[in-house]
Parts: sequence; C-alpha cells; structure tokens
Amino acid sequence: MKKSTRKVVRTGTIITIAALLGLTLYLNLRDGSQTVNVGDEAVDFKLETLDGDEIQLSQLTDEKGVILNFWGTWCKPCREEMPDMNQVYNEGHEDYEIIAVNVSENPQQISQFISGLSEDLDYPIALDPNRSVTKAYNIGPLPTTIAINKDGEVVKKQEYQLTKEDIHAFIESSVE
Amino acid sequence: MNTKDNNEEVKENKNDITCSHCGHVNPPGTQLCQSCGKMINENYDKKKIKDLMRYDGSAVRSKVKSKSIFDKIWNFFTSIKVGVGIIAIIAIAAAIGTILPQEYFIPIGADPLEHYTEQYGTFGMLYYKLGFTQLYSSWWFVLLNGLLALSIIAASVDRGVPLYKSLKNQRAKKHDSFFRRQRLNNNYDNVSKAPEIVKSFENKKYKLTQDGNHYLLEKGRLSRWGPYINHTGLIILLIGSMLRFFPGVYVDEIIYAQEGETVSVPTTNGKYYVKNESFTIDTYDEESGTVFDESLQNNMEMTISNFQTDITFYENQTADVVGSSPELEEVDKYSIRVNHPYVFEDYQLYQSSYDNSQMKSMTFRLEDSEGNTLGDNFTVELDDPEDSYQITEDVSIDMRAYAPDFLEIDDNGTLITATPVPTNPAFVFEVDDGEKQELSLLQIMNSTDITQDNEYNIRFVEAEDHMASVLTLKKDLAMPYMAAGFIIFLIGLFIGSYINHRRIWINAEGDTMNIAAHTNKNYYGMKKEMNTILESYEFEAMKDKEEEESNSKG
Repeated sequence: MKKSTRKVVRTGTIITIAALLGLTLYLNLRDGSQTVNVGDEAVDFKLETLDGDEIQLSQLTDEKGVILNFWGTWCKPCREEMPDMNQVYNEGHEDYEIIAVNVSENPQQISQFISGLSEDLDYPIALDPNRSVTKAYNIGPLPTTIAINKDGEVVKKQEYQLTKEDIHAFIESSVE
Repeated sequence: MNTKDNNEEVKENKNDITCSHCGHVNPPGTQLCQSCGKMINENYDKKKIKDLMRYDGSAVRSKVKSKSIFDKIWNFFTSIKVGVGIIAIIAIAAAIGTILPQEYFIPIGADPLEHYTEQYGTFGMLYYKLGFTQLYSSWWFVLLNGLLALSIIAASVDRGVPLYKSLKNQRAKKHDSFFRRQRLNNNYDNVSKAPEIVKSFENKKYKLTQDGNHYLLEKGRLSRWGPYINHTGLIILLIGSMLRFFPGVYVDEIIYAQEGETVSVPTTNGKYYVKNESFTIDTYDEESGTVFDESLQNNMEMTISNFQTDITFYENQTADVVGSSPELEEVDKYSIRVNHPYVFEDYQLYQSSYDNSQMKSMTFRLEDSEGNTLGDNFTVELDDPEDSYQITEDVSIDMRAYAPDFLEIDDNGTLITATPVPTNPAFVFEVDDGEKQELSLLQIMNSTDITQDNEYNIRFVEAEDHMASVLTLKKDLAMPYMAAGFIIFLIGLFIGSYINHRRIWINAEGDTMNIAAHTNKNYYGMKKEMNTILESYEFEAMKDKEEEESNSKG
C-alpha cells in the first residue's frame, strides 16, 4: 500500500466509523424524548367537541392564538384549574381560543364531571377518543397546557396546574 | 534536473531494509525477506518459528512508527490485545444483562425506574441507571460495538494487506537458511528425481511455481483468508445491528384491541387500522382417546391448543389530519394464530397474548320491598354507560353518577374517580316509579341508600370482562444483513478451520536436494501426505523439528 493510500484508508475508516457511531447514538437517544417543546411546530388536528361541532387547529390559528389544555376527569388539578380558566375566558376571548382536549373518556363521564364543577364551562371541550392527538403531542402528565401562536408555533408549555396568573401568561404568549 | 526526486524514488524510506542476500528492498519491520525468505533480524526470536511465518515474515504495519493522531488511534486499535479486551467487555456486559429481566419483559405501562427499584432494591436502581435494562440500545454498548468494528477493520487491514502482498509475490527461490528454519525439512543426495517428485505433488492438486531448479508447490491458500472473510461477516452483522436504530428499519410494538374494537396500527401514520372481530382460546380435549389424555388430566389447568384473533384489516382512504375520523376500506380478513402472523408490506402482526382483566359490564336487577324482582335485568356497559334504563312500564332507573375507579364522594355529591379504567366501579342510581325518586349508591359488594326509607333495592347479578387480544407488530429490515453477515461469518470460520494452506519448497540446484514444507495447521496430515510420495521414490521421510525437540527433551 502506498503511503497516501494508507493515510486515506486510516483516516477514512476512523472518520466513517466515528460518523456512523455518532449518527446511531443520536438516533438512539433522540428516540426517548420526542416530546413537543417550545419552538416546535404544532401538529394540526381535527376533533369533535362535546357539543358535536368539529374543530381544526389550523383554522383557529389563522385568526387567533390557541391554548390547548389536556385533561381527564380523574385528574384533581384539572378539576381545580378549569373553573379559573373559565373565569378568565369569560373576561373576553376575541383574540384567543381555549380548547380543553379530554383524553379518551366517554361523553357521559365528561358531562357528569362538568356538572360537578362550580361553574359551567364556556370554552369548547374536544374529545380525543383514541388518544391520537394526545399521542401526537406526546402528552405525559395531566394537566398539560400548551400555547400556540398564530404562526402555528408552540410558544409555551406547562405540565402542572395553572394559576390564574399562569393562564394570563399563556394567553399573552399565544396572542403575541 | 530532478535528482532529488529520483533519489527519493530509489530510496523510498530510509528505514527500508535491503536484503543482504538477494538485494530485495523490504519495508521496515520485515522479519523475513519478501523475496528469498532470509531472516532479516537474526535476533528476532529464534524460538518462534511459527510466529515468524504467520504473516510470512512481512511487516505488520502497526508495529512501525506512528505520526498523526489518526495513525495513533489506528495503531491502538490494530492491537490484538485491545480487540480481545473489547470483546471481553462486550461479553461481560451481555452476561450482566441477563441477571435481571430486560425492560421489554416488565409489565406494560410500569415505570421502569420504580419497577426495578421496588423489585430489586438499590442493585435494580443502579442496573436501570447504567442502562443494563435496555442493554442493546444503551449508549455505551453501542459505542463498544463501534470500537469493535474499528478494531476488526484496523487489525484486518494491517495484517491482511502485507499478507496479501507476500503471498502474491512468492518466489520459488529461497535462501538455504529458510529451508533449515522450516519445521518440516530434509535434504537428499539424489537430485535427479526432483521433477518426478514435483509431478507427484502436482497430482495432489499442488500448484507449481518454478524458477530453474527451484520449485514452489502450494495449495489451500484460501485458508489464509478465512479470518478476513469471517471479519467481513462480523462487520456486516454490526452494520445490521446499527441499521436497527435508523428510523423505519425496526419496529416492535404492542397492539391492544378488545373484541369488536378497531385500532390504528402504530408507526403507519394512521394509514392502516385493524379490527379485532373475535378472540378465541381452544383447549385440548381430555377425552380424545390419544396417548396424551393422562397428562392432560394431570395438568390442573386447561392445556391450550390455540390462541386465535380473527381480524379485519383496513386501509384509511383519507390522508387527513390527526384526530379526524378515518374513512376505512376493508383490505383483508385473516385469522392470526401463534406462528401464523398476518403479513402486510414489511410488517408482521403476531399473536402475543390476551387480557381478560378489564371489566366490560355489570348486570343488576331491581327488587321491591318484599323481595320480588321487577321487570328485566339491566346491564351497564362500563366504557359507555346509558343514562337511563327502563325496567317496567312504570319504573325506570337513571344513572346520576358513575365513577369507573371509585375514590370518594365530592362535596357536591358527585363521584370522584382515581383513574379512567373501570376497576372499581361505583354508581348513583335513581329509581323513579312515577310517584317518587329514590337514590342509592352501588359499589362492588356494597350498596348504600342515599334517600331515606328506600322501597326498592338494586341487586348485583353478574359482571362480564372484556376479552382483549394483545398482538405484536414487528418489522425488521435489518434482518437480511444480520443473516448474510452470520452466514459469511460461518463460511469464514469453516474456510479458516478446515482448509490447510500447504507449501513445499524444493531446491534441486547443485548436488543436494533440499525440501522444506510449511502449513498453517495440521502438520501431521501434511507430513503423511509428503511421506507417502517420498516413500514411493524410496526417499527418507521428512524430519519434524518439533518432534525432535520434544524427543530430545524427553
């Protein structure tokens, strides 16, 4: 083997293996953390609401900022934050919309849950019967709240109960 | 004009070694002259006859000087010690990986850290944190495999290239000392028979290279390439295991479908859906009159002969956004049994297990104060209960509250559930007979009146469980690489182990005929082959140096 060939073989082999190893490790480690983060593009979805209407995220974000609130009837913080959210919502929601995405429960359970709250909810409750949206957003704990701006970009995310201040902060970042 | 260049061409490297016997220029590190086989470094190691011939005495490049960082890395990994070290670490890690169950064996949905800590204490926690629970995809195991690949390639190139060169450039003419140094050698006074003897060896499938009265007979050279073929197989195997990490190459997912349920097939982006039409378990007949009857009866449980899920396979016609209801078109119907998966595209859908632990429905009846049952029984579907049940023309039961996994009663009277899964259902029923309403709370094994002096009683009759089939979805595009790699590995192993590389040198120049022989394995067989031919010419048998040594020692 000529000296130059030898150099090419050595350098080439080492760099190729290092590159493939790096790529493999990247793909491997990325696998476990495919959550939706701030700065990501929000996945578009179409769901039916409790009232039987159909809502699509991309249509809403054309005009308004959107706050997605993933919840379930068994989740205690959800029960506590939802009336707060409703009060803020009723102060005016011309430039934003709240969608409370229920994670795969039947309408009977949801209606029963809402009737047990201190006030009726005026924002739409979206039904995700087979968790397809919950999976697409890789939702872990409930409640998880995500703010999406008019460009369809995730701008804020919180994985625990919201205070009223938090709710205002979410609205602000979604309409900016 | 360019004397300097010419000079360099002649003297390529100042460390090159010119053979004192034949004048051949050998690269630095050479032990035996590539041309005539004279020993270059007399002090190398006089005892190690075999070692010297392993790479035909040519320089193993890693043992020469190193310069750049790449040379240093390369030389480090060409070392057999390093290679064996990496293999040892991989083997030990794989062994440790079998102490506790891997993560895909723990219950579905359990938090791995909690599970291992609870089950195995601190050791379990460390085991999980160090990545042993998912050994094959832990970062350091992947890294070790990468280093192994580098070690295999570096070691093979550094030894294979010089070996190839020296085997390609073999000459028939060898120095006298080369003959004396071979394990099998002898010399004879009679030179006239040389061509005939050579002819006999050629009949034994030896290939001849001739240079005047110098002969080289060789067969089974392929044997020397065994390890390199073997290594190629290993590299392909490692590439296959690497490919599994690439998106879309490897899928191993669980599909959980209750009877009658249609679920989307994971990793197909909502393109395919599968419906569990029915799930059946067949058991062996204990009275079938076969020889197995007795052992079937001895078994306390039923012996299962077949698990089967009848499925309908659908393709989604609307490539629409997430969450929108799919427009399904039936593609196929199939009965999935153990070892009979449903195959579509590159996927296989296997029968894995079943689950009947989830409650499906509860049936109740209504009694009046005298204990008489009124009307029909009513069944509450726990996943999607009705709001109202008509018992008789006059009496109806309304469900006022339902908790699938009852936790407590809220201040405002609603039931609070701990999880959305119906494991501990509780209901508030309102019996309405047109005149008055009575409320009662029903739980498993318990019934409480909410209103005073209830006339009616709701009694539990029976519960039914869901029958759910658990299927595994598999796809492995890396499998052909793994299989090819393994087959090549075995071929290499076979070639290296069962083929002998035999060479015989004959020098019939002058008055004496020198014969020497070398093989990479099985000297006994070679000796026998040669002696048969030599005896047929009434020549003395070959002398074996090693045999003589052990004799003189004894």
